[in-house]
Amino acid sequence: MTERDVETWEPVIGLEIHAQLNTKSKLFSSAPNRFGDEPNMNISVICTGQPGSLPLLNQEAVKKAILFGLSIEADINLFSTFDRKSYFYPDSPRNFQITQFENPLIRNGSITAEIDGTLKRFEIEKAHIEDDAGTLRHFSQFVGIDYNRAGVPLIEIVSKPCMHSAKEAVHYAMAIRTLLLYLDVCDGNMQEGSLRFDANISVRRKGEKTLRPRSEIKNLNSFSFMQMAVEREIERQIKLYQENPSTDYLTLIPPGTYRWDQELKKVVLMRAKESVDDYRYFPEPDIVPIVLTEELLASLRDELPELPNDRLHRYINDLGLSDHLATILVYDKPLSDYFEQALKYCNHPRLLSNWLTVEFTGRLKGSGQTLLDLKIPAAHVGKLISLIEQNKVTGKIAKMIADEMIAKPEVDPEEFIKENKNFEPLDDGTEIEAIVDQVLQENPQSIQDYLSGKKRAFAFLVGEVMKMTQGRASPQIVNALIHKKLQPPIS
Amino acid sequence: MRELHRLSAVQIRDLFLSGKIKAIEIADYFLKRIEQHNPSLGAFLTILGPRALLKAELLDWKKEKKEPLGKLAGVPVGIKDNMHIEGELTTCASQFLRNYRAPFSATAVRLMEDEDALILGKLNLDEFAMGSGTENSSFFPCRNPWDLTKVPGGSSGGSSAAVAARLSLITTGTDTGGSIRQPAGFCGIVGFKPTYGRVSRFGLVAFGSSLDQIGPMTTSVEDAALTMEIIGQHCPNDATSLNLPQENYPLSKELEEGTAFGVPYHFLENLKPEIRANFDESIERFKRLGATIVDIDLDILKYSMAVYYILATAEATTNLARFDGIRYGVRSPEAKTLEEVYSFSRRDGFGREVKKRIMLGTFVLSSGYQDAYYKKAQKVRTLIIQAFEKSFEECDAILMPVAPSSAFPHNSIHDPVEMYLQDIFTIPANLAGLPAISVPSGFDSKGLPLGIQIYGPQMCDTLVMQYAYAFEQASQCIKIPPEFDGVGL
Repeated sequence: MTERDVETWEPVIGLEIHAQLNTKSKLFSSAPNRFGDEPNMNISVICTGQPGSLPLLNQEAVKKAILFGLSIEADINLFSTFDRKSYFYPDSPRNFQITQFENPLIRNGSITAEIDGTLKRFEIEKAHIEDDAGTLRHFSQFVGIDYNRAGVPLIEIVSKPCMHSAKEAVHYAMAIRTLLLYLDVCDGNMQEGSLRFDANISVRRKGEKTLRPRSEIKNLNSFSFMQMAVEREIERQIKLYQENPSTDYLTLIPPGTYRWDQELKKVVLMRAKESVDDYRYFPEPDIVPIVLTEELLASLRDELPELPNDRLHRYINDLGLSDHLATILVYDKPLSDYFEQALKYCNHPRLLSNWLTVEFTGRLKGSGQTLLDLKIPAAHVGKLISLIEQNKVTGKIAKMIADEMIAKPEVDPEEFIKENKNFEPLDDGTEIEAIVDQVLQENPQSIQDYLSGKKRAFAFLVGEVMKMTQGRASPQIVNALIHKKLQPPIS
Repeated sequence: MRELHRLSAVQIRDLFLSGKIKAIEIADYFLKRIEQHNPSLGAFLTILGPRALLKAELLDWKKEKKEPLGKLAGVPVGIKDNMHIEGELTTCASQFLRNYRAPFSATAVRLMEDEDALILGKLNLDEFAMGSGTENSSFFPCRNPWDLTKVPGGSSGGSSAAVAARLSLITTGTDTGGSIRQPAGFCGIVGFKPTYGRVSRFGLVAFGSSLDQIGPMTTSVEDAALTMEIIGQHCPNDATSLNLPQENYPLSKELEEGTAFGVPYHFLENLKPEIRANFDESIERFKRLGATIVDIDLDILKYSMAVYYILATAEATTNLARFDGIRYGVRSPEAKTLEEVYSFSRRDGFGREVKKRIMLGTFVLSSGYQDAYYKKAQKVRTLIIQAFEKSFEECDAILMPVAPSSAFPHNSIHDPVEMYLQDIFTIPANLAGLPAISVPSGFDSKGLPLGIQIYGPQMCDTLVMQYAYAFEQASQCIKIPPEFDGVGL
């Protein structure tokens, strides 16, 4: 979008999120809820729609959905029901999905996320539970249907069309994903399909009150794809309107479903919708309504774990982390949990946060692995920070130890120090002093430069001492010694 | 050789338990009867001879070893072919499922087998339980033992004919709009539909999920009560199963003092003369037992047909959507595309009546029509429920005929609405989830059986059974059709 476009056009985006609830068994049967097994292993007579089978509601799934609703401060419907949604497709064992159309469990609610320093609130329209379909696998001569996924519990979260840029959409999506992880109701794995995003996008001129036709992009399974796809679609729609000022909107943007093609870097039409699908929703007669009480909701509210925003607050206000690092940690829950673990072994949250997000992460950048992939125990990292805090190692030595820890993840940092004399700090003042004297003797020009006002010369001298001590001298001590020795004589 | 077919289930069980007869003799006896009579009756679709004989041997062995035996020990039982027996065919009398073997047993079946019932086979029905004469069976029709040119009723026609002809002493039927009670009435036997949710629907191929119930079809009320004691239990596999303990069905020949029966005279204004006469006779009989009769207003029931055919078909169209040729059942060999798998398999697998109801159900749920049809019907259903609640404030039970006529001839009704009107007196019980029973009340001038129907309030199954027992004992109307009562077989 050009500058002028941003002035004139307002994108309107809503996201539909399908999150698989991480219950042990499926929504309406006791078949296991697991990803990755051989086809048709995790099925029961209910999952394959055998005649004579009846659905039984998984209470744990309802509980997880309620926890989500409470965490977004939504209205939880004390009386909600299920409906049959009819459509024929081979991945549907009954050719109807059991969903909540008339009386969803959750209505309204909101979530906040920080975007470029400002806090933005995103409104949620509703959320409900429904069962997932199976998966189709295409072979050359036939299509195979795997019902392992059929019946897995889903929570479908529908936002209001309250996002106005790809960036906002992505931030909203990330915020929801993080929340789901903190609640431990979904594993958030977008590659495996446990969390799926569909975006509904339209644009209109700024100031227009009604919405123009929208297109739907399905299955955006990474945040970077989402960003690109949404931006492209916004551009595409604006261009269409700009180039065809007198064509009717529905002709320019006919109802259709799109997908993002990563190869072509384009939004591609999957299916044009000639007519609105008639799902013939009606109340599911085999399942009794979900009836909840205020007492139950109150007790579940007490069960809510620390939510991302609360953790963010705690990191910034109680632990004194910078906004920036706190956000990085909070939005990466596994790393954040790791941080909490490591914190038990040291006292400097800021220092620890820096080492986790900068030092270690930096070292692993090219390798494609994360700190957690390497399985370095959080205690080890905590200990390393503790050693720095106690001046038992210098910063520079600590970095070398970090390299060793990455190479040998099982080894305790204290072991590295024991095994390598060079890692031990020089706190013997005389040894350092001797080296300082030596450096000063060998660099008279630098001394002159410093005395004539060149601050950089001082740093050079410190650096030379550090080199000679192989980093084992505490920079503070070196600094102090050089300062003392270079005080201009009273003339 | 004892005329075992003249005994009730309780009598045969007691005979077996007392050691006076072996289970294998019982099995042999009834299997031979089936072999002889089924070709002309068409009651059984599948005869489970080897299975029954094996069970009989087991029972005899248990008896010898003095192992404990169940309440149905040695009793020959038949199962309607829309209920599962694990490993056996469940065809629902449809071409679509002609090769389908049940992956599990229905709870009701399991409960009866646990009580040592001797299951003889699967019984004929209207395809997917849709019909009132068992003429919609895709295999062969079933005939009324009282007159082979007449229908046995439907959809549980096979179950009814089998009991009437004493090929089995107890059978299970299923009742969505009258499919136990109407055939019981046509065949001169007892047919009981429990309160909705009293018997588990797990293992019953669903037709109208909010209407279906499994129930006993027997030669005596005592046998129906025995069966209900066994199958009327809470089932964790059926979320609509009532969370109530198992009940006992005490039976007395006398009515409790002050018993009042409601009769919706206005609603019953246009009965055929013979039906009216027999109905009035039954009312008199209740009066002689000491009951008072109260006139109640159930005029709203004139809408029950429309409500039923909207709601039942809506539920049925989704319940039958799973029959698509993809996972089980018969897939059309001509099909080359997905579309064709769906449309050819269903075209070939379903009969006319089933197709008609699927289309009707889809229509009443479709966008633009749902409000006027489905949603409206739901509202009227509530009115019907309320009308019954109000009536039960003035009476303990309600009396009605079972059907507008006695058994009609095969192929005589071609107008679908006329066929649907067969269920006019039975449908309301399904709409309101009430227990209802059909008890033989005499014969018409053609010698065909007639029945009286008793409705009770929800969860008053034992009460309904008790009223039926008192009537049965006082009227002694239950007979065996002479053709099937010969000595020897």
